[in-house]
Amino acid sequence: MSGKSFNPFRMAQVQFDRIADMLELDQATRDFLRYPVREYQFSIPVRMDDGSVKIFRGFRVQHNDARGPGKGGVRFHPQETIDIVRAMAMWMTWKCAVVDIPLGGSNGGVVCDPHNLSTKEQEQICRGWVRQISRDLGPLVDVAAPDVMTSGQHMVWMLDEFEAIRGQRLPGFITGKPVSLGGSLGRKEATGFGVVFLIREALKELGLRPEQTRASVQGFGNVGQPAVDLFKQLGGKVTSVACWDQKDQTSYCFKKESGVEFEALLGITDRFGSIQKDRALEQGYELLPGEAWIEQDVEILIPAALENQITSDNVERMSKNVRIVAEAANGPMTPEADKVIARRNIFLIPDLLANAGGVICSYFEQVQSNMNYYWEKDEVLGKLDVKMTSAFDEVVQFAKKKKMYMRDAAYYIAVVRVVQACKDRGWL
Amino acid sequence: MPKSIKSSCQAKLTRFDRNFFTGKEKFTYIGSGSLGGKAQGLAYIKEVLETEVAPRFFPDIHVIIPTLTVIGTDSFDRFMKQNDLHEIAFSNARDDLIAHAFQRAELPAQLVGDLRALIAQVPTPLAIRSSSMLEDSMFEPFASVYVTKMIPNNQLDTDARFGRMVEAIKYVYASTFFNNAKNYIRATRHTTADEKMAVIIQEVVGCLNNGRFYPHISGVARSYNFYPMGPAQPADGVLNLALGLGKTIVDEGIAWSYSPSYPQANPPYNSVRDLLKETQKQFWAIHMGEPLEHNPIKEIEYMRKYDLSAAEQDGTLRFIASTYKSDDDKIVIGVGEKGPRIVNFASILRLDEIPLNGLVRQLLKVCEDALGSMVELEFALTLDERHGKPARFGFLQVRPMVVSDAVVDVSLAELTGENVLVASEVTLGNGIVDTLRDIIYVKRESFDVRCTQAIGKELERVNHDLVSSGTPYLLIGFGRWGSSDPSGGIPVNFGQISGAKVIVEATLPNMNFMLSQGSHFFHNITSFRVFYFSIEHMGKYKIGWEWLDRQNVVSETKFVRHVKLPSPLEIRVDGRQGRGVISHE
Repeated sequence: MSGKSFNPFRMAQVQFDRIADMLELDQATRDFLRYPVREYQFSIPVRMDDGSVKIFRGFRVQHNDARGPGKGGVRFHPQETIDIVRAMAMWMTWKCAVVDIPLGGSNGGVVCDPHNLSTKEQEQICRGWVRQISRDLGPLVDVAAPDVMTSGQHMVWMLDEFEAIRGQRLPGFITGKPVSLGGSLGRKEATGFGVVFLIREALKELGLRPEQTRASVQGFGNVGQPAVDLFKQLGGKVTSVACWDQKDQTSYCFKKESGVEFEALLGITDRFGSIQKDRALEQGYELLPGEAWIEQDVEILIPAALENQITSDNVERMSKNVRIVAEAANGPMTPEADKVIARRNIFLIPDLLANAGGVICSYFEQVQSNMNYYWEKDEVLGKLDVKMTSAFDEVVQFAKKKKMYMRDAAYYIAVVRVVQACKDRGWL
Repeated sequence: MPKSIKSSCQAKLTRFDRNFFTGKEKFTYIGSGSLGGKAQGLAYIKEVLETEVAPRFFPDIHVIIPTLTVIGTDSFDRFMKQNDLHEIAFSNARDDLIAHAFQRAELPAQLVGDLRALIAQVPTPLAIRSSSMLEDSMFEPFASVYVTKMIPNNQLDTDARFGRMVEAIKYVYASTFFNNAKNYIRATRHTTADEKMAVIIQEVVGCLNNGRFYPHISGVARSYNFYPMGPAQPADGVLNLALGLGKTIVDEGIAWSYSPSYPQANPPYNSVRDLLKETQKQFWAIHMGEPLEHNPIKEIEYMRKYDLSAAEQDGTLRFIASTYKSDDDKIVIGVGEKGPRIVNFASILRLDEIPLNGLVRQLLKVCEDALGSMVELEFALTLDERHGKPARFGFLQVRPMVVSDAVVDVSLAELTGENVLVASEVTLGNGIVDTLRDIIYVKRESFDVRCTQAIGKELERVNHDLVSSGTPYLLIGFGRWGSSDPSGGIPVNFGQISGAKVIVEATLPNMNFMLSQGSHFFHNITSFRVFYFSIEHMGKYKIGWEWLDRQNVVSETKFVRHVKLPSPLEIRVDGRQGRGVISHE
């Protein structure tokens, strides 16, 4: 996941500091927003299938809830750290603010590797996590959601535990639920589709049509898959897809100049987003090292996996044809790499904006769940498109007007909104 | 339409930029693929309209193509594929089952954002219109094969408006595979699999009055008149006008018809009494009040028919109607006095208060020049409440017409004789057919005007079998074919009798024996080059029923008989004289 030298929370703070300087925020405001407003770290005892008891470390960080209840995922990862969680929570605060939904930023996780856990063990972890933190969660307090290596099933276990504790049916407690149990139609595709809605808009800004462009995607999971699907539907061509191979413990890049065949590729991909190497070769893909995704001769790069993937070490290997980088993952680019992107005049769709489709649709799910009334998919995706496009327009116009880098413009708008909310509440 | 015209039309259009009324362009498209025939026709004529016609009539009449955006056929393809609809679409499932399956399906993700943005800014009635690829072909009729759904679009909640529009789009998509459409397509050289649907989302031309939304005038104009009266010539054309939405003309055949060269000529009625009887008495409008029902698979879900008194209340009859004064036995223009109203557009046609006739003549000419053939236009018009002008003229559709120019002579003497099965001096069409051996006819002994719906169903089944086997036939029945009123004739649509090459109607008593030239049924008859014979109830020419009853029966149902002849009939129609004869051996 991340090297010892990379600290995502530090990176998030650096990003915030930059904007705080632009806004000339006072010290108190900076201090308040540089750190989460509250954090929880706890131990979850789990009886394993073999009868032994193992202790798993869990987190929940609420960065800021001035604009509304906290919102953020719960990730299971063996290299999960409190700094990662803090960074995610902070980014979520800005994300909700930039797309102007009435939610704050949270995040949580458990240090574990689901690859090595049975279903029962994962269920116990989910229920244990809720038991530890239930007092500080809820539809009106902090709403959890799936994240890396957690799924709808995990959310349902968590919901079930929460409802058992509260003695009520509270579907608005958690999002990312299966549709049959209060999930929103369109949620599965929302993040990936949202990225492509904004790539569509960015292409308009550049005077390009999707049919004229090729893309390289890192990650073929919950975000990468719908992104590839919709980008192709719009007429674009995806020429390479990179993903993690659990067996080989390395990543590979699968390349096809004529364009990936989405349905066929999906057919050889597991639930963690890993593509079967041998079957891909049979389908005519060229197998390259994972990091080759960034070197491909394409117009659009879509990092849709983890943070810290575009760094000073590899950013210069980008093709000179790259016109757009759409950050489908959170924090995939380091500040150093950012500078290179800006220098090369590549149109950046910052993570804050690019992957906000997921949280917007989560918000829709929360609303539907709280009303216990569910919308048709056309309505969900139509609203999603308009919400994202409006947010994008706002950021682009602001960036043009202030001659700002897109990331700075997005953060600027977001931070202003959060600061205002804190001031309106009398906190600052 | 030639590829070069198609591609040049599409190249000139702009993508929808999420500003429906406020955008620079009023004719835009969403997605990709073909625009379909209707939209292509409009795109093609747009420039001519804007440069050659509109300036001439401004400011008295604002001539426009009402603001529209077209969803290209690629969205239809994606919709069909992502929802696995091909199986039910191509099956023999009932129309309502197909429609429901389409309602349950999801629109493509790349479409809904644009639709959402559109509906958020448009709170006025919209027409969701079909624009199919097969309509694009020259000489392919396709009038009224697919649906148009009018939606009031006046709900306060954007979500509700979005939902209604999405329902309408899915309904239009579904209509591609309705029975009527399949029957129709079978009668052409195409298959249903060839068909793709674009959808036009267009503002409705009209005004809101007392919970009703409708134009003052709808019209259908043709540059060729099959029933010229008096001094008028066929090439003078014909114009059909009605109060309210055009459904009155195209589906019901009710209109004020006249030759544009003689707008002031007296109508072809023998007496004022006949005129009062035949005048338009009801009109269609979009119901803007509390919804009457929720039925997304009903074409007229939001439409209602109102009596003329409603228009009187709305004040919309002012320039449309005249009044019969029984004391003086006179008709006076306007509605200033009390008395029965006659919808005759006298203010406009006789007094030329609005230069509508001149405008339509000009439009027919430019459209003929542009398309290189006779044409049929559809339009709608609203008038200024107080002065009539300025009027707003919405150009809605242009289609080519098929007119045969072969020379066939049928003398009066030929209309009588031993071997004559049917003869008439009121016919449509022109030419000779000598290959038909199959006759489908409605049995005299079992015909009942109360059972016309059932008769229509039986005919549809027989038609299906014959079309499937590629067997054209002669069709004989009672009353007005294609009548929307079951008591006036057999209420079939053209798809249900699409295999007929010759249609004979024995008119019922008190029935106008001329088909309305404004109706879609009429359009399809002429475009498919179907010969049409009208036999007046008590006229001098009869149908050879006894001879028919002696022929070899292939199949028979309660109301309908199918016979097959040993030798083909000879059918000759003289289009210039309007005479025709069907002879047997």
